[in-house]
Amino acid sequence: MTATATTEDRRAARTRRKAARSAARPVLPRFPSPARVLGYTLVVGVGLLYLLPFAIQLVTGFKTDPDAASHPLSLLPATPTTAAYQRLFGLSESAQGVPFLRWLSNSAFVAVVVTAGRVLFDSMAGYALARLRFRGRSVLFGFVLAVMAVPGVALLIPKFLVLNTFGIFDTYTAMIVPLLVDAAGIFIMKQFFESVPREVEEAARVDGAGVFRIFWSVVLPMARPALITLTILSFQGSWNEFTHFLVATQSGQYETLTTGLARFVSGGLGGGTQYPLKLAAALLSTLPVAALFFCFQRYFVNGANSGAVKE
Amino acid sequence: MSLRTTRSRGSAARGAPRSTGAPGEPDTPGATGTPPTARNRAPRAGRRGEGAWGWLFVSPMVIILGLFLVLPILMALWVSLLHWDGQSNPFGGQADFVGLDNYRALLTQDGLDRTLFATSLRNNAYYVLLTVPLQTLLALGLALIVNQKVLRARGALRTTFFFPSVTSSIAVSTVFLFLFQGSGAVNSLLSWIGVKGPNWFADPRGVLSLILGDLGIVDPEKPAGALANHSFMGLSWFEWLSGPSVAMCTIILLAVWTTSGTFMLIFLAALQDIPRELEEAAALEGVNRRQLLRYVTLPALRPVLFLVLTLGLISTWQVFDQVYVMGQGAPGNTTLTPAFLSYSSGFDNADFGQGSAIAFILLALILCLTVLQRWVLRERGERTGRKR
Amino acid sequence: MVTRTAVAALATCAALLAATGCSSSFDSGKEPDQDKAAKQKLTVLIATSGDAETQAVKAATAAYAKESGNSVTVEIAKDMNQQLGQAFAGHKPPDVFYVNSDQFANYAKGGSLYPYGDQISDADDFSEQLRTSFSYDGKLVCLPKDTSTLGLAINTDLWKKAGLTEKDYPKDWDQLKTVAAKLTGGGVTGLVTSDEFQRLGVFMKEAGGWITDADQKKMTADSAANVRGLTYVQSLLKSGSMKFAKQVDTSWGGEALGKGKAAMTIEGNWLDGGMKLDYPDVDYAIAPLPAGPAGQGTLAYSNCWGVAQDSKHRAAGVDLVKYLTSAKQQNTFADAFGVMPSRTSALTTYAEKHPAAKAWVDGSAYAQGPVTIAGFDKVLSQFNTDLQSLRTADPKKILADLQRNGEQAIAKGN
Repeated sequence: MTATATTEDRRAARTRRKAARSAARPVLPRFPSPARVLGYTLVVGVGLLYLLPFAIQLVTGFKTDPDAASHPLSLLPATPTTAAYQRLFGLSESAQGVPFLRWLSNSAFVAVVVTAGRVLFDSMAGYALARLRFRGRSVLFGFVLAVMAVPGVALLIPKFLVLNTFGIFDTYTAMIVPLLVDAAGIFIMKQFFESVPREVEEAARVDGAGVFRIFWSVVLPMARPALITLTILSFQGSWNEFTHFLVATQSGQYETLTTGLARFVSGGLGGGTQYPLKLAAALLSTLPVAALFFCFQRYFVNGANSGAVKE
Repeated sequence: MSLRTTRSRGSAARGAPRSTGAPGEPDTPGATGTPPTARNRAPRAGRRGEGAWGWLFVSPMVIILGLFLVLPILMALWVSLLHWDGQSNPFGGQADFVGLDNYRALLTQDGLDRTLFATSLRNNAYYVLLTVPLQTLLALGLALIVNQKVLRARGALRTTFFFPSVTSSIAVSTVFLFLFQGSGAVNSLLSWIGVKGPNWFADPRGVLSLILGDLGIVDPEKPAGALANHSFMGLSWFEWLSGPSVAMCTIILLAVWTTSGTFMLIFLAALQDIPRELEEAAALEGVNRRQLLRYVTLPALRPVLFLVLTLGLISTWQVFDQVYVMGQGAPGNTTLTPAFLSYSSGFDNADFGQGSAIAFILLALILCLTVLQRWVLRERGERTGRKR
Repeated sequence: MVTRTAVAALATCAALLAATGCSSSFDSGKEPDQDKAAKQKLTVLIATSGDAETQAVKAATAAYAKESGNSVTVEIAKDMNQQLGQAFAGHKPPDVFYVNSDQFANYAKGGSLYPYGDQISDADDFSEQLRTSFSYDGKLVCLPKDTSTLGLAINTDLWKKAGLTEKDYPKDWDQLKTVAAKLTGGGVTGLVTSDEFQRLGVFMKEAGGWITDADQKKMTADSAANVRGLTYVQSLLKSGSMKFAKQVDTSWGGEALGKGKAAMTIEGNWLDGGMKLDYPDVDYAIAPLPAGPAGQGTLAYSNCWGVAQDSKHRAAGVDLVKYLTSAKQQNTFADAFGVMPSRTSALTTYAEKHPAAKAWVDGSAYAQGPVTIAGFDKVLSQFNTDLQSLRTADPKKILADLQRNGEQAIAKGN
């Protein structure tokens, strides 16, 4: 069901459900109280399983190396220290090999440009595929669907080949341009535009507006919810992107949070060393997406459900 | 104002018997089939420009996807037929054209390449076999919990369960690397209940062989008989059947933990779509909770269940990030997956032909699964669509 | 359907033509234009063992920069092999870099390394087995950065507790077997090593065998000598007086030695740094490895200083390497982060300064250098995987697999 539902459909359905929910009681009677206590314990236990790793991550960032190694589970640092964070922000001398601020700025730069590009190009393509009539449209849509099925990891070497052939390997261009369009985003936008009533456009057309004007100042403003979903998904996707950056760049100056952290963590097989630093870096790299997540959770939910058609 | 119109239309569309699983169907004016009325109504003027505009609008998509998706696939197809070390120009004739040799070395020729490829397939197969059912069950369980109307703080729970899914795979892998160290948090937890945890990332022993060894059925250190004497693709039956290694299990746990949230949401949406009347009717008949689940809820979830299973099946064959951070194949090649093998053949061993060939086999495998999924979902969608 | 295919085919053909037409990055036959400026900018990529090494290399390059007028930037690689592999294929390599012996042959074969060996007038000063390891097609390609050999590290407290004296340091395999058995018991294992050929290989060498012949042209893995070496190890493992590090819950021999779980281990001179850092209170001594049927044997390890073929600053790069491998500089590195000089002349100075390391220093006279054959990385890692089950597996089978895999890799390489 979710497969065909557009963002709007789902929103509408949710409003409907909300109304239904508040009006009615549960179908079956409440559990007896021993069962309820047990149930709540279980639920809290499962919840803890999901929270505890993050809590440990947060606390370990403030531990010293030996403390982290000998008391990995304790939720109170024996000797609280901000050494890891000082190293990350270059405040202390020994910031060797962890140019965190460079990673951060690369990640931010790439994510912002990619997001802007995706929002523009995906909605243009989505609109054309939903509304404009031109030869080859259905072929192109079939192409988009086919592209969605191509797994990214099978393209690691192929992508490297192409970037290298074009002579843009190890540049920002190589990091950004291939990510500027994504098929799933086009699909979301197309589904949305199809739910927009034609009458609005017809009215504008009668008023003498051109195709681009109709798209830009009539249809696009109506697409706000879909655009927000797309923005958030694109930002999350490009911020967390790893494999593409791994094959598109090599030198330290282009490392992002993901490639930098991954190389730092996997390369340093020194066994149990520098975990406060690694975990602090990992924590900071999740913060922007986490912040977005807590502010715009429902759009993530939309995204997850449209992910149902993604593959 | 305009938004409101959209919404009401949206809910109308939802109420209508809209066929499921046909995302592929554009609302095709101009294509074959009955010409929609809109076309006739539309003013002839502007029609002509539309084609040009249409191509203009899709041109960024065509260029980028063409250059960075279609072209790479074709180039890699060519390179997979070469013996190319990454130095010369693969299109200039300096690299040896070896035909299907790279594929032969992986599939039929007895040798190290085939052993490694078979090992990676075995590892990934166990990964799939464990991850997919576990994450589906867990996601279903979580969705049922969060859907309990009597439960307090459902929103907070949903947020908690979903959060790991949105974080970067690299960051959570780092966390798990710390948690599962030999003297790490997980083993301290286990020691509370008197269990001595293994040295997770250094333990190449297969879990299945350990269990069988404990039961005294086979001696994992010296397998005998048919298990040791027969082999397939360079691995003995025992090696095929020894199960995922302890190290691989941590990656499986990580995958289950991170993906269950997303699938929970898909289940949740489906659960909330179950018509209330259906549940109420069942309640009137005096069913208990288990019967309600067994006879009403689960059957209603079947299409979504299939969707989640196939999505899981497709994505688990692509595991790469976690392997890169947590093992890179170690210990004893037991965390090697085809995706990582392809990468390391190319970039570590400078054998890009071999790497491309592995990538192609993987691509074919995943595309087959996708085609299967779309085909079955379409079938099911039509059936349920008719039923409604 | 037909149109779709046609359109796709047309578009891709056009794109392919365009792509190959302007494929600037793959022209490898072309020599890179050399920078003729008086002051050149060099990039150095190193994989560091820790802050000490990073600081030492930075200090050395800074001193060179001051002396020569060139400027030098030192970058730290986190995953050296992958970063270099991509850099070479992408034709954007750093000018000077560490080359791991595992990868040396791959790079040399691909023509990524600028062979500057003939420009080094005193190359003979570097130990012969290392020069062999870093030669390709009979030409010395790059200079060994430093060296390390393996010795028998002994926990002296446990040694005394077992009632043994310095005179009992094992001289041959029989003695090793006896003392290992004597030391085993009460949570202590006589000999603990990692389960890899980089340690167990010493027994193959001592038995008179090795994985390849001397010029790395032919596989000799399935020789009787190798079988003999591994069978000896197997007998130790079976008796329980020898265990792999993982079996005693440690990640390497040094950890087992430091935690008192091993009375002896086989490690190189990096052990000093590790012990100083993690187990400063544990006393240990280094003895030469016991001799086998074919006399003494040990393994030597090294990285070399590579200069990129694609570099625009080859001359300056070679100049920098000359500076960094000078006897004086090698001894500075040795003091800073505990490696042994690869120059024979510098090694003498080193031995005088570090008498405790005598066994390691002496070892370089009879050590076997690392295997450097293109495409051998995975052959050897498969060998290591097989060695993990050495206690129960058939050494002949393990070596036969190695022989076969190695032969295939050599065949593919030529």
